[in-house]
Amino acid sequence: MAVGTHGDSFMETDPPPHRGPAARRDQGGRGGGRDLDGLAQVANKIRDAVESVIEGKPKVVRLALTVLLAEGHVLIEDVPGVGKTMLAKALARSVDCSVRRVQFTPDLLPSDITGVSAYNQELREFEFKPGPVFANIVVGDEINRASPKTQSALLECMEERQVTVDGVTYGLERPFMVIATQNPIEMEGTYPLPEAQRDRFTARISMGYPDASAELEMLETHGQASPLDRLAPVAHAEDVRELIDVVRRQHVAAPVKQYAVDLVAATRTHPDLRLGASPRATLHLVRAARAYAALDDRDYVVPDDVQDLAVPVLAHRLLPTAEAQVERRHPEHVVADLVRRLPVPGPGK
Amino acid sequence: MTVMAGVATFTGAVGLYPLFAEGGWLWGALGSVIAVGGGGMLARRLRLPAVLNPLLGLAALLLYLNAVHAGAQSWLGIIPSPASLRYLGEVAADGWHAANRYAAPVPLVPGIALLAAGGVGLVAVLVDLLAVRLRRAAPAGLPLLAMYSVPAAVREDGAGWAAFGLGALGFLALLMADAREQVGGWGRLVGSAPWSGDVPMAGTEPEEPPAAGPRGGGLAARGWRIACAAVAVAVLVPALVPGLQPRGMFGLGGDGEGGGGAQTVTTPDPLVSLKRELTRLDDSIVLTYRSDDPDGPDYLRLYALDRFDGDRWTYSALKSSGKDRLRGRALPRPPGLGLVRTRQVTTRVRVRPEVRNMTFLPLPYAPERVSVEGDWRVHAPSRMVYSLRDSAGGRSYTVRSVRARPTAGDLATAGNYPAEIVSLYTAVPRNVPPEIRALAGDITADAATAHGQAVALQRWFTETGGFLYDLSAPAPQHGSDLADFLLRGRRGYCEQFAASFALMARLLGIPSRVAMGYTPGTQVRPGEWVVRSRDAHAWPELYFEGSGWVRFEPTPAGTAGQGTAVAPPYSRPATGSGAQQPDAGSIEPGAPGPEDEPTAAPGASADPRRDGGGDTGPAGVRDEGDDGFAMVPWLAAGVLLALLAAAPMVVRALTRRRRWAVLAPSGTGGTPGAVSPAPAVAAHAAWREMRADALDHGFEWRASDSPRAAARRLGELLELDEEGTRALGRIARAEELARYSRTRPAEPAERLRTDVRTVREAFAASVGRRTRWRARLLPPSTVAQTRESARGAADRAARIGERAGAAARRLGGLADRVNALPGRLRRRP
Repeated sequence: MAVGTHGDSFMETDPPPHRGPAARRDQGGRGGGRDLDGLAQVANKIRDAVESVIEGKPKVVRLALTVLLAEGHVLIEDVPGVGKTMLAKALARSVDCSVRRVQFTPDLLPSDITGVSAYNQELREFEFKPGPVFANIVVGDEINRASPKTQSALLECMEERQVTVDGVTYGLERPFMVIATQNPIEMEGTYPLPEAQRDRFTARISMGYPDASAELEMLETHGQASPLDRLAPVAHAEDVRELIDVVRRQHVAAPVKQYAVDLVAATRTHPDLRLGASPRATLHLVRAARAYAALDDRDYVVPDDVQDLAVPVLAHRLLPTAEAQVERRHPEHVVADLVRRLPVPGPGK
Repeated sequence: MTVMAGVATFTGAVGLYPLFAEGGWLWGALGSVIAVGGGGMLARRLRLPAVLNPLLGLAALLLYLNAVHAGAQSWLGIIPSPASLRYLGEVAADGWHAANRYAAPVPLVPGIALLAAGGVGLVAVLVDLLAVRLRRAAPAGLPLLAMYSVPAAVREDGAGWAAFGLGALGFLALLMADAREQVGGWGRLVGSAPWSGDVPMAGTEPEEPPAAGPRGGGLAARGWRIACAAVAVAVLVPALVPGLQPRGMFGLGGDGEGGGGAQTVTTPDPLVSLKRELTRLDDSIVLTYRSDDPDGPDYLRLYALDRFDGDRWTYSALKSSGKDRLRGRALPRPPGLGLVRTRQVTTRVRVRPEVRNMTFLPLPYAPERVSVEGDWRVHAPSRMVYSLRDSAGGRSYTVRSVRARPTAGDLATAGNYPAEIVSLYTAVPRNVPPEIRALAGDITADAATAHGQAVALQRWFTETGGFLYDLSAPAPQHGSDLADFLLRGRRGYCEQFAASFALMARLLGIPSRVAMGYTPGTQVRPGEWVVRSRDAHAWPELYFEGSGWVRFEPTPAGTAGQGTAVAPPYSRPATGSGAQQPDAGSIEPGAPGPEDEPTAAPGASADPRRDGGGDTGPAGVRDEGDDGFAMVPWLAAGVLLALLAAAPMVVRALTRRRRWAVLAPSGTGGTPGAVSPAPAVAAHAAWREMRADALDHGFEWRASDSPRAAARRLGELLELDEEGTRALGRIARAEELARYSRTRPAEPAERLRTDVRTVREAFAASVGRRTRWRARLLPPSTVAQTRESARGAADRAARIGERAGAAARRLGGLADRVNALPGRLRRRP
């Protein structure tokens, strides 16, 4: 059984009790509790911390941070050994909050993730033992090695931020983020993620190989000790909650919304795609664009944000047709092509 | 495909219509096209080799022609027999003769109809072979083009634009059918359906599959667009470009008043007909007439060619309207006829019935009253009498004419020319070789008056110049041929003589034109004359104030020349004509009648054109005539071209003004902090302006670029200094804020305007000189604007076409249902 709390030395907190909505409003309801400058400050600190571990991947780090601020979940996909888990752990450790790690294996059961009701002999009643999803950041390693049944256990918590076990619903704490890693499905011993679950991930990030200089530097830094060990949290969970509220207040002009809708709609009629992006994808796209703009120290979203996020946010949700697959026209290419062709909303004639 | 090839051939054949006087040939052509198509289809059905394809088509054509034209001589009415084939050959030979005899449009005698149907059929065989059998639809256009070029070569005015458009559309339809069949060979377009149905969405209605995939539809629409645009350009451009079509857009125009508007008269080329008449072997009788002129009748004139275009003499386009009808009324006094002696002459003319297509009446100049049946009209300035539909063949008519009888003295003392005569009849194109001008000057160096010059010219042509009358000389086609005739060859017939005489007269400043018609012919009985085809003649007419248009005769007469030509007495050199001088003197007081010469006494300076004293007078008059008349259309064309060329520039400047004008009131008057829409408007204006500038300078502008992306890309392309980079950034940021942000851009409009200018200079600095000039003179941004609106129009047209197609399909469906009705009724109990 590979389930358990992370055994590393970084601080682990017990799953905090679920806070009611009123308490939440107290936390972030001031509106101006933190402004854009504060956000940029905190975000930069997290970014620097993560980049001290993951060298030469500023775009990937920024995307991960974007998803965190957009209250989304991120799927990191790539071949083994390029630092997927490292990124997930670095991001988790930069923020001072509860972190759980789940190593997905083929024999993992749904209850291993959500938790079980166990009979307490002393109290003579069933007691709920929360699973690893009861944390602020859940690192799901090699998520596609588990059977679809187990993967589906994440569906409810990812979208609704709650867990239902034996008819009782337990809420999850904010921020809640699943950072999943997976190997490409061509790899041995992997199950493809169900469409429903893929759709719940805000973005899919591909790590890619580091360039030569970054790899050389990696040899230096990783040679002595893991840089992860030196990583100390630079932000508190409370900070992240406030940042999320700032992001929610970001202005999205009507033309930009229209642009996002057009872009998503275009995937639904594209001849190379069997399945287009869902309305949830539109939602995620705009939400991520808000965070992306905030990270750029802007209080409004521009189409460039949508364009930059289109491939990470949309591509993993799309199903190519058989012909497109044979001709190696991947959904990434389709989305990039749509971005290139779709006119941005202008001031009109 | 076979059908399309037939349609293309037939529509192409429609272009032959100017060659024929009647429309019946079209049915013959249609029949042969169908016959050939049937033959070709049979060959393909029997899977015969490609070589046999045209043979079968030819056989079908022969069968068809035989059945139609020689059915009586054939076995069973259709199978060719030796007799019927011989008959066919005879008919074809007749047709050949007729075609050589008549100028277009030719009457539809059986031979001509046979030749027309056969010719179209041959083209159909070729098209069928190329397009259907060999699958080469594009080269199939060559025989079609060859067919179209026949009327264009024979008739000066060519075929009409509508016929051309029809032929072009037919060919395009052939190409389309070919392409469609080729695509069809690959089966249905793969992967073009947006939803292939693999992933049905819950709750969605099952979508109707679109008739054509989005790609196919887009391509088809584009094809339509290109085809329509190509045909439109091909039809419109020659109509708009001056010099390609003599009468401008569609030959319409005219004064508009009078019955039913005006109509341009087209007739076979008079000069071509002249040569043909002169060289006819049979020398048949054209007309006979009786004249009561005691001095012997004057020439009978058909045409007056008043325009020299640098190559040939032609007459200006006749704009005919109902008010020009003769209707037995008396015509006004001929131009210029003043106080010289005149005589009324009555001539009764009977034109032989064999004469065809004589749409102008041969009349002695100047007719006053013409009594003739039919719709005959008069061209008032030249007194030509013509008909739009009747021919003079077989008609008898009476003409009362007034014949001026000027003496040499009358002409020598003629008054000044009216301005409109000078401007119309002394115009000479610039390209006339200077040698001719010099030659004319040399010949007439001793002459003091216009009349003297004319006499000297005539003497030179007929006596001293060493000219030889030679009917075998080729008809002059170009201005250089006339120069050859005058300067080197000096062999020719009346056409060269008359044309060069009139041209030299114009060069000397004497108003002139070339008349064509017949000499008086030969007298068979007292008062009765016969005119044969070889009496056809051309001669120059010169204008003298007071006498009007008078005839000269530069063509040698007698056996070594135009047999029946006569030189009028006033045109002969004055030697020994002393008796006439006093006569002239006695007339003199009356001669200077014209009121347009109030100052100079006619007696003081004999030559009306040299009365100004000094050289500038005549030179000025002549130059004005030369340039003024010939240059007017060119000038107009130049102005039009200049306007057209300047249009994009002007549109661009206006657009720029309009953009900045929008924010002028608030930009200058508004307070900077005030909450007004002005900043956003200014930002948009600046952005659009910069976009237009970028397009003008040839920079790519992607619709998918946001302001910052566009600015980034432009910044990479341009070598910007610091100020330029800042300006570009400011414009982009202002636009971005205006578009997407809640806060409004803070840049004042004036600053943005300066920034736009800075960036424009950067654009100009980083492109070549050619692009820079194009940006100024032919800004592509306006062209793009125009293109967008044109594309919209074409799309609308295509949509209408599609709708028509859909309606046709519905109609077809209805027909199917109607056809199926009896079956359904039967099934019912």
